[in-house]
Amino acid sequence: MKVTQMKIGQSGIIKKITAPEPIKSRLFAMGVAKNNRLTLLDHTIKKQTWEIEVEGTRIALRKEEAEGIEVEP
Amino acid sequence: MKQIRAVMVGQPNVGKSSIINAISGARLHVGNFAGVTVEKKEVTLQRGENDIDIVDLPGIYSLKAYTPEEHVAKRYLIEGQYDVIINVVDANILQRNLILTLQLLDMRRPMVLVVNMVDELEEKGGKIDADMLSTLLGIPVILTSAKEKRGVDEVVEKLIEVYKQKECACKLFYNEKIEDEIEKLSHILLKSPHFNDPNLARFYVIRLLENDEEIYKIVHDLPIFLELHEALGESIKRLKLEFDADSVSDIFADERNAIARSIVMQVMIQPQKETLTDKIDKILIHPILGLPIFLFFMWALFQITFEVGSIPMDYIDETVSNFASWLRTILPAGDLNSVITDGVIPAVGAILMFLPNILILFLGINLLEQTGYMARAAFLLDGFMKKFGLQGKAFIPLVSGFGCTVPAYMAARTLKNPKDRLITMLILGFMNCSARLPVYVLFIAAFFPTTSAGNVLFTIYVGGAILGLIVAKILRAILFKGEPEPFVMEMPPYRFPSIKVLAMELWIKAKLFIKKAGTFIAGAAMIIWFLSSYPVNEELQAQYQQKIEQASSKTQKVALMNEFAAKNLEHSYLGQIGKVIEPIFAPIGFDWRLSVATLSGLAAKEVVVSTLATLYAVGEANEKSDTLINKLRENIDFKTAIALIIIIMIYSPCVAAMSTFYAEVPQWAWRAFYTIYPNVLAWLAAFGVYHLLELLGY
Ligand SMILES: Nc1nc2c(ncn2[C@@H]2O[C@H](COP(=O)(O)OP(=O)(O)O)[C@@H](O)[C@H]2O)c(=O)[nH]1
Repeated sequence: MKVTQMKIGQSGIIKKITAPEPIKSRLFAMGVAKNNRLTLLDHTIKKQTWEIEVEGTRIALRKEEAEGIEVEP
Repeated sequence: MKQIRAVMVGQPNVGKSSIINAISGARLHVGNFAGVTVEKKEVTLQRGENDIDIVDLPGIYSLKAYTPEEHVAKRYLIEGQYDVIINVVDANILQRNLILTLQLLDMRRPMVLVVNMVDELEEKGGKIDADMLSTLLGIPVILTSAKEKRGVDEVVEKLIEVYKQKECACKLFYNEKIEDEIEKLSHILLKSPHFNDPNLARFYVIRLLENDEEIYKIVHDLPIFLELHEALGESIKRLKLEFDADSVSDIFADERNAIARSIVMQVMIQPQKETLTDKIDKILIHPILGLPIFLFFMWALFQITFEVGSIPMDYIDETVSNFASWLRTILPAGDLNSVITDGVIPAVGAILMFLPNILILFLGINLLEQTGYMARAAFLLDGFMKKFGLQGKAFIPLVSGFGCTVPAYMAARTLKNPKDRLITMLILGFMNCSARLPVYVLFIAAFFPTTSAGNVLFTIYVGGAILGLIVAKILRAILFKGEPEPFVMEMPPYRFPSIKVLAMELWIKAKLFIKKAGTFIAGAAMIIWFLSSYPVNEELQAQYQQKIEQASSKTQKVALMNEFAAKNLEHSYLGQIGKVIEPIFAPIGFDWRLSVATLSGLAAKEVVVSTLATLYAVGEANEKSDTLINKLRENIDFKTAIALIIIIMIYSPCVAAMSTFYAEVPQWAWRAFYTIYPNVLAWLAAFGVYHLLELLGY
């Protein structure tokens, strides 16, 4: 499922990342890579901005980027 | 004496500045990397017979550079002259940091790994086996805590040791199939006569496989390029097929991630789940409370910046003008005296006056950044700002713009993406700065009833902000059409800031500001001064001197002196320019006086008031002067007054602000655009409103 479909507090293993460069590299450099564990921490009321945690790093993303990350709960 | 040159590399926020600061006996130098406005910190120190020089590179997330800071760091790593790499990582997020370490290890250069923030990790019950880590990576590993000054001096010792060995003992390899391709391609590269270092060849090949454009440019001119290019294409095809991946970058990404994971598993005892940041975040980015809390912080920051900052401001102003008056009496009368006491010193004083504001604002912003709150603010506001093609963090420079545009331009540095930064800076001028207030107060007092004054002022401020956001949206749509606006931002854990690092950053900012903007501002202010005081009309001077001497009463004398000042300004270059450009302003109802006043507003916005006072021959006056208000009512009609207010709202900010913009934005095209478009926009808006009011019968 996509990150945007997760519930707050839910976690899963990252399976696939779809994003154009240079966003993909940036995500990767922050630890968003295949087989790492991702937890959805929060999103703003309008679901425009999302906060996730991957291997100890908290990351803020926009909806567009969050949609490109697929996890397996 | 041996000279050892080292570079310090690491991801942002790992504590590089803190380590640099904690090394004992080190002397800090600050400058810029050649040709770019990226700060360069460098320390020099002595150990035994060695002279050591460490350059602190801007924080980078990976060798795939993205922001200007990252490009600078990467270029330095690839082309710079240095002997040893010091890679700093954060013990708490070792796995992620090791990915950059692995990219650096591809260079196979002498390297030391510094695992910082171990105090935090240990406090949470975690632990890292440094010996094991060192064995796995093949480079020395030092555990440090910059906060507790633990292990920092050991970094220097290890650095010297590694320097003496020259070779990097790193022995990490990727998957066999990848290594095979690397081997093949390196072989081709090494055929080139300029190329005889197998380690460098390996590094270049890896970067090329990852589609690194900068390396591509370097090898592009080699004679073996065609052969290499072809082989590279084949290798990439084979690897993609073999690993069923979209790109070789992805393959390397997975490889490095897997290596980093397995290393962390072997060397680290994971800490118990941390909770402090969780708890604070529950409040600070709370869906409902988050925003009010943020607004309170902003309010407090600007209150302190502009209230506390104004105390030394008056003091500085007074001291500078006292100094100028004193100097006037000391120096022989004449042009030189005038240049120094009327031109240079007030201009330099004007720069110094901004300094308290800038320092306080920067202290606040640094505090927000170092504690980790800045990222939260961006998180909260990004949804709103995105609608206008801006980014969450842009809020802070924009709000600073209501105080003073100069520090606001510098505050835009917190935006790392160059496009976001540029758009923010281009619309900053629409946030009405405090220097424009006197102009508004004067015109509102002259043309509106007292009861509606507050509302009019509010409309001006809100109108400016809305206009800015709309322009941002348009700029984003037109100038950067179709380009992605990535927003992927780390939210660092909350930390207590270090006073020493704050002080150092502040010192750096102050120095850079005085040096850079200072030269611009002093120069520009002197030009305006020159234009308004020359040429001296001797005849006029003699004429008035005589009249003044003959005047019977004191009031008459003053009136004559005011008249003389007005005539003098009329005949000055500035007045002449005002007359030349009068036709431009004529369609919006301006006479040459208003044109000159508008021009003089480029020196500083509050100067508009004093220029009008001089031109209407009322002498020294401020925005509350009744005489001036009456004169304005007599000479200007309502629609012209509104047109002037609109011009002041939109046109170029003062030279101090413009010089700061030029100093921050190196591209000439953008500088030119920035210099022209607000003025065109201001004129068009004023023209539209003027004629609309005319139609409505004003
Ligand atoms: N607990 C702890 N905090 C540290 C340590 N080193 C740096 N910090 C803090 O981490 C934050 C980022 O440090 P800074 O030196 O600005 O990082 P840089 O971006 O890599 O230069 C600051 O708030 C520092 O006070 C450390 O060893 N232990």
